[in-house]
Amino acid sequence: MPFSTPHTREIAKSLAASVSNEDESSREFSAFDELIASMDVWSDSLLQWPPAAAVRAAWSEVHDRLASASREQSRMLVVGIVGGTGTGKSTLVNALACRNVSTAGDQMRPTTVHPVVIAPERADLSWLPLQEINARVVNSDAESISQIILIDCPDPDTQPTITSSPTHAVRPSDSNQNRQLLEKVLPLCDVLFLVSTAQKYRSWVVAKELAAFAPGRPVLFVQTHASRDPDIREDWKRELVSQGFSVPIIFRLDAVEANRRHAVGEQPDQGFQEILDAISFELNQRGARRVRRTGSLDLAGWFLRSVRSSLEDLREPVAALASGIRLQRQSLESQMARAIGTELVSCRSAWQQVLVTDVLQQWQGGPFSMFLHAIVAIGSLWPRLASLPGGMVSRILTNSRGVRMVTTVPQWHSIAEIGISQAAVERSRSILSGMAARAAIHEPLVGRVKFENSRESDTIAGLLGRTDAWLSTGVQRLLSTRRAEVAGQGFRLIFELLFSGMVACVLGRAAWGFFYGQLWLGQSSEGTGFLQESLVWMILWGLVLRWLVLMRLRIGLNRDIDQLVQTLSQAQPTGPLLADFEEAAIRTSEFIARGDAIEAEWSAISLRLTEHLGPLGRLTEEAACDRLRNS
Amino acid sequence: MSHEVDLRHSECPLFFAWAFDVQRLCEITRLLEPTAELLKISENVSRSWRGLLFSKLEPQLTRKPVLVVAVCGGTNTGKSFVANYLAGTSMSRSVPEAARTLHPVASLPQGMSVTMPVHELFPGFVPFRWSSDSDAIQECDEHRIVWREDETGRQSQRLIILDTPDVDGPLRENWRRAELVRDSADVIVAVLTQQKYNDAAVREFFAAAGAAHKEVLIVFNMLSLPEQQETAIGWLSTFRMETGIEPLAVYMVPWNRSAADSGTLRICDASATRDILRDLSELEIDRIKIRSMKGSLALVLDESVGVPAWLEAIESQSKQWQKIRQTIANEVRVEVSLPPAPREIIWNEIWEWLEPRRSSIDLKVSKVYSSLGRKILWMGRKVGVLKSQEQKQEDFAAIELDALTKAMSDLVDRLDILRTRSTQLHGILNHAFVEVDRSDWYADLERRHKVLPLVSDDYRKFVRSELDRYAKDNPGAIDFIKHLLTAAAVARPVVTIGLFTAGAAGAAMGMGFVHHIGDILVGTATSLAGEGAIGLTASSLKPLLESLFAGWSSERARVLARTLEEVVLGDLLTEIDQRACCGSQSILNEARLLVRSLREASTHSM
Repeated sequence: MPFSTPHTREIAKSLAASVSNEDESSREFSAFDELIASMDVWSDSLLQWPPAAAVRAAWSEVHDRLASASREQSRMLVVGIVGGTGTGKSTLVNALACRNVSTAGDQMRPTTVHPVVIAPERADLSWLPLQEINARVVNSDAESISQIILIDCPDPDTQPTITSSPTHAVRPSDSNQNRQLLEKVLPLCDVLFLVSTAQKYRSWVVAKELAAFAPGRPVLFVQTHASRDPDIREDWKRELVSQGFSVPIIFRLDAVEANRRHAVGEQPDQGFQEILDAISFELNQRGARRVRRTGSLDLAGWFLRSVRSSLEDLREPVAALASGIRLQRQSLESQMARAIGTELVSCRSAWQQVLVTDVLQQWQGGPFSMFLHAIVAIGSLWPRLASLPGGMVSRILTNSRGVRMVTTVPQWHSIAEIGISQAAVERSRSILSGMAARAAIHEPLVGRVKFENSRESDTIAGLLGRTDAWLSTGVQRLLSTRRAEVAGQGFRLIFELLFSGMVACVLGRAAWGFFYGQLWLGQSSEGTGFLQESLVWMILWGLVLRWLVLMRLRIGLNRDIDQLVQTLSQAQPTGPLLADFEEAAIRTSEFIARGDAIEAEWSAISLRLTEHLGPLGRLTEEAACDRLRNS
Repeated sequence: MSHEVDLRHSECPLFFAWAFDVQRLCEITRLLEPTAELLKISENVSRSWRGLLFSKLEPQLTRKPVLVVAVCGGTNTGKSFVANYLAGTSMSRSVPEAARTLHPVASLPQGMSVTMPVHELFPGFVPFRWSSDSDAIQECDEHRIVWREDETGRQSQRLIILDTPDVDGPLRENWRRAELVRDSADVIVAVLTQQKYNDAAVREFFAAAGAAHKEVLIVFNMLSLPEQQETAIGWLSTFRMETGIEPLAVYMVPWNRSAADSGTLRICDASATRDILRDLSELEIDRIKIRSMKGSLALVLDESVGVPAWLEAIESQSKQWQKIRQTIANEVRVEVSLPPAPREIIWNEIWEWLEPRRSSIDLKVSKVYSSLGRKILWMGRKVGVLKSQEQKQEDFAAIELDALTKAMSDLVDRLDILRTRSTQLHGILNHAFVEVDRSDWYADLERRHKVLPLVSDDYRKFVRSELDRYAKDNPGAIDFIKHLLTAAAVARPVVTIGLFTAGAAGAAMGMGFVHHIGDILVGTATSLAGEGAIGLTASSLKPLLESLFAGWSSERARVLARTLEEVVLGDLLTEIDQRACCGSQSILNEARLLVRSLREASTHSM
């Protein structure tokens, strides 16, 4: 083969480089297989979220191609010849096959209504759905295409886009299915030859079809009718670049001339020779693997970028939902904290009662203890005037020995005392469901604003359970710190001494009066009057001491309650109320983050593995191509 | 000439019969335009007739008839070459790059621009006076028509020649412009080539011209003559079958770039005897004009692609909105269970009203009682058995706000469900419902509730008037009231809040369409606890008390209604109502009648 042009020399160079790297790249390619596996898992991980389901749908379209690409690395490349009607696709095919394999020329348009598959005799075509695409198979022994399978494709531009004309007349083209047929053939192709002419290179229909099938398929661009048409390659290149392609080279040839030269046994002209060289160097067996791998990498990259750009607009709403949940939880919990704090403070007599009972259990014997016991005994004779509030707080206080109350079926009004109302919860859920809707999160990922009956009681029970557990341990801790304030033996000793001192004083005074005054001085007896008086003083003194003990217990109680209430958010009591939103926010943001990670992984792999494809163009700017596809 | 009508010196006497009706139809469709936009009627529905009505019939019906000849075709088929040939001068440049002619170029006969303003002749385009042959390839966003006057005087006084942008290139704007020009034209010069004669985009473009009965001259360009002459005839028959066009003449132009560039290439028929220029000058202008005008009108009036289809679309879309409106009225409705009204509030009002009507003894006695009562209450509050007035009101306000909040979240949720169920509603609700922070709504409700006085002046007036009316109707009953004032009547009214639009509510009442204003209605259904006791003693008193309590409650609930109306929904209900009412506009009927009479007129005349 003559290396006639600069680019063919370049091809040879890159070829040599790739041979030495072959084993290494094979090894590395298994990383790509792993990436495909993780993309499969990722795309399937959150189907209840419509944007993620769309990712899955997009994945199902590329998955087969990616899987087969790594399986059939050394299979012959399938090259599809595409382009508008009349651009000379069939003529080019005939020139490449060196014989008349496909009807070409001045026939009725469209000429090619069935795809023609041109393959070397030894090629394995068993995997091609020839029946389905209604293809005609022709064997060719032409050397130039001995390494590839060529498909002469139907055109995209003769099938009507609207089904009936304004005049309702039957038209021959009503039965034209060429574009649909083309869309069945193109998925089979590994490489596309885009054939065009001066009249057709700016065709909207062709550009749209190309945009749909170019991702992951290297394209070779060919201007035909070279002997008649002006050279439009520069302008065409501009157009292709604006459609998102990288265009290393556009071949320009005249297939009619090539056929003529072959018929008379002349050497091909330069334009045709160039494309022959490109085919034999780039698309041979070794090149096949390169083309296919790069195609797969491109396809995976295209898939990742396009699905991630569809997720792009959802990042902010998903993050907003997460912070909205935090905000709503905070607001609900601060309501709870306020209510519980108030309740705890207002249960002062209950606290006092509990603490005193505690203290008394520890303080046995001793005059002051006996005094305190006596007061409790007397107090218990009284019926209680102001009964304790019947709520959870006092329940926990009175059952502070660890016996949990068994509550009946939980309902909203039963939790009013802990500061959570149905209205507040529904308000929070309503606000969050607006945020969720912005992030395209709907049922069944999140529930409705109002809980269903069955879930309602479960949720309230969950809230109650968490609050109960938190409050019980908190109150226990609080009581034990309180208790510790008076638990010291020294503390008790002081009070016992102070009280005993009073008793001693009284007794001493009585003894003094009796022994000194009455017996020694012979004064008359003071009588019981003094004892009555001193009893009153003793009781008063005892009450003062009791008050001091209670003060000791009570100082700092409010501060401790404040501290206790502040630990509420750690217990996450409102979790069950907004659990569905929370889970949805976490799962969606994880889905997005996983996509980012996979794309980063892809970038690293593609940097290592993408190979130079010589004259083959590739789709590199998806944005431009997406615009076309959706136009 | 077949019809022997001379249009040259008159202002279209023939079309006169329906000229006024067509003008009225234009007016009506313009009036309906905002409606169609509101209902999001697809542009495809009006694609076939809009250009014909506004770019052809309207501007040309009342003007001196001239033929508009438009050169059309795909990219790089040589349209500019043909147009230059027809105009006899280089009016737009032929360049090798495809899709370069971005704006139509018009060549007017000498002196025409004075008598016929270009912008009136080609509505939808901004006229731009020709300065060089590269005007048409300047990029700009507006639809521009580049025009020049024939300087040589050779161009027929009754011909306007146009070069148009392509119909199949990647710029959709070009297609749009080409379609506008095509619609206004009477004669189409279709430039076809071997590569493009059967492209779907090209076919569809010309088929529309054929359907509107425009005359078509086919220029088959870039042929290898004479080899391709035979095949070209076959291609033409395919083209005729596909487009339904019977061309007036066919010209074959050989492939000869140098001749084309040097201006020596002629556009002749196959036998090279007839030149397109000569044919053009011999056109039966009046016949063609009448034919194309009638053809355009027929398409405009066509049941399936014309104005009737568009009217039908408006009506059916509007019916959808009526359904939505009904669904909203039926489903978006909640019962607000407000806390029982603080009895003393209403009693206080009644007391105040009674004050001047009571005897002095009664007053003194009650004064003693009330001072005694106050003391007892004071003591009760001190020991914590009774709550203070402020505490009570605070509690009441909290419960009431909770009830309103619950009702609001319920309403919002119901609307949310509807939003996900109906695509139309989704479209207009999405902005108001999803792109906002809903916490603002609740904050607003809270704010409004906070500033709402327990007893408003309106309510006070209402109580007075009710009591006055009652006293007037039942002169004896006033004594009853005095005795019954201590009777405990705990009212628990159930207030319903629903989103009705006037139309739906009106229809429900069997009144048809009253107003186009949406509203949120608060209706009250009262049930009085303890009513039995009162009912036994003074049956006539029951409705009075009922209405007093109910009035108070619905006034409370109106806070929610107002928040919904002003903050949550905005003009939404009005918008839905507007859409729903579109279908019943009388103007639609007028349009239909007009279509019918035009159809009759156009078939009977001539």
